[in-house]
Amino acid sequence: MLRNKWKVLLLWSLLPFLVGMILFAIVQIFFPTASPILSSVDFGIAAFVLGVTLRAPGVFAFLFGFFATLIGLGIYYWDRRRVWEAQSLYADYVQDAAQKRRHFLRRLDHEIKNPLTGLRAALVNFQESKTGDERARAVGNANRAVERLTRLLTDLRKLSDLEERSIERFPVNVPELLDDVVTAARTIPAYEGRNVTLLIPKIPSPFPMVTGDRDLLVLAVYNLVENALKFTSAEDSIEVRALEDGRSILIEVADSGVGIPPEDVSKIFEELYRGSNARGTDGSGLGLALVHRIAVLHGGGVGVRSSQAEPRGTVFTLRLPRR
Amino acid sequence: MPLDRPTILLADDDPTIADSLAPFLERAGFHVLVVSDGANALEKAQAHHPELIILDVLMPRMDGREVLRRLRRSNVWTPTILLTQVGEASERALALEEGADDYLNKPFDPHELLARIRAVLRRARPGGRSLTSAWLLTANDLSLDRRARRVTLAGKALDMTPKALSVLEYLMTHPDEAVTRERLLEVVWGWEYPAGTRTVDTRMAELRRALNDDPTEPRFIETIPGEGYRFIAQVHGEG
Repeated sequence: MLRNKWKVLLLWSLLPFLVGMILFAIVQIFFPTASPILSSVDFGIAAFVLGVTLRAPGVFAFLFGFFATLIGLGIYYWDRRRVWEAQSLYADYVQDAAQKRRHFLRRLDHEIKNPLTGLRAALVNFQESKTGDERARAVGNANRAVERLTRLLTDLRKLSDLEERSIERFPVNVPELLDDVVTAARTIPAYEGRNVTLLIPKIPSPFPMVTGDRDLLVLAVYNLVENALKFTSAEDSIEVRALEDGRSILIEVADSGVGIPPEDVSKIFEELYRGSNARGTDGSGLGLALVHRIAVLHGGGVGVRSSQAEPRGTVFTLRLPRR
Repeated sequence: MPLDRPTILLADDDPTIADSLAPFLERAGFHVLVVSDGANALEKAQAHHPELIILDVLMPRMDGREVLRRLRRSNVWTPTILLTQVGEASERALALEEGADDYLNKPFDPHELLARIRAVLRRARPGGRSLTSAWLLTANDLSLDRRARRVTLAGKALDMTPKALSVLEYLMTHPDEAVTRERLLEVVWGWEYPAGTRTVDTRMAELRRALNDDPTEPRFIETIPGEGYRFIAQVHGEG
């Protein structure tokens, strides 16, 4: 008698579990994207209805079956969750990459279109020129357009090169490097006489080294300094300074220029992004993207803070791990 | 065929490039043969014995590298300039390994090509192998094993960065030639660097320290003020 009762209890508790699983399987087959929580509720209800219809003997048996189903599902969901998370992350990544690619192509199209239009116009002018002066002007314009295209191509190549190649890792003397960059920046003919100050702390002495590719670091800092020169006028000043906080070396390039519009700040490190300030300025539109890439390759990062209101100015911070 | 003018074989499949470069080189005093694919280039190179060959790397029917390899294998040591497409380091190293005498990255200034042509022709030893195809370069007690990337001075191995070694390699394969800092940047660094000339000077200082070469009384590398550097010791190539 007792044994028989246990048998019935067991059977009845298994029934909603089995029916639930079958329903779950059906839901998964026909609606593979259905939320697992929804399916568990679905077949939980189905199991309940079935239990009631068949007049399950004993509420305990039924509840046991019902909770067993939920626990089974819980385990299933727990296990699958990581996969779903990874899938959703991947989908986001793909979507993000596709969007970046679209942006990049649109910007590239724009960057090529402008000098090309200039070049075509210069060629027409050259063909139709009647005086030597006109011809010289046309050639000058054509040369400028070609230079712009060359600059774009060179920077694109640098970026793609950085994707592939491994960087050198040697001790780099930061004050010496900054001195080189500042000296070079001061001698750019277009920016002669501009106020660029180099600040190196005297303590600790000697200033801690970083490990990395000196040439790439020069390129990164130079791009920041050139950028600062480009967006400031002769009255503004620029400071290049090195700091350290025990773990990182911070290289800051600060300028007292007009500042970056807030809506541009988060995008300026994107490839070929041109902020509203930067339209019509020289440059490939890849300079800051290169800085970002170089910083990441060195295990560091680059950030910016900028204010257009007084006290106005922009500070780029290149953070590199200390040796 | 004009005999007084050196003949250059120009192989490039892009008609606008060939069409513009040929008259430019003609004006500079060369006789120019133009071909538009690799197989043709190989044939013309063997039939016409030009003084110099300019090969584009990417060409139909046979790429420039393969043409060069086949020429060298059949013991034709005509000085050759490769026009490379990519500035990537491995590509540059390859160009040297296959026995090109020099190379230029596209896009280039035609005047730069002319300067390269003149430098290569000046250096050329008729019929002889050029230093650029030698594996082992020696100058006095200095030797550079290009395959092993090893430098020894008086039998002692020197410790130097890959960049410094590449600078030395370029200078030793172009001895007695004024090499500008810009040229070194292009061939060794592959990119045009801002602050580049100082970058070169930094490496040069490192190289001189390693070679124990006094810039005021150089045994190996001489500074040419306002121009660049020159490798002054006599270089022998082997292998």
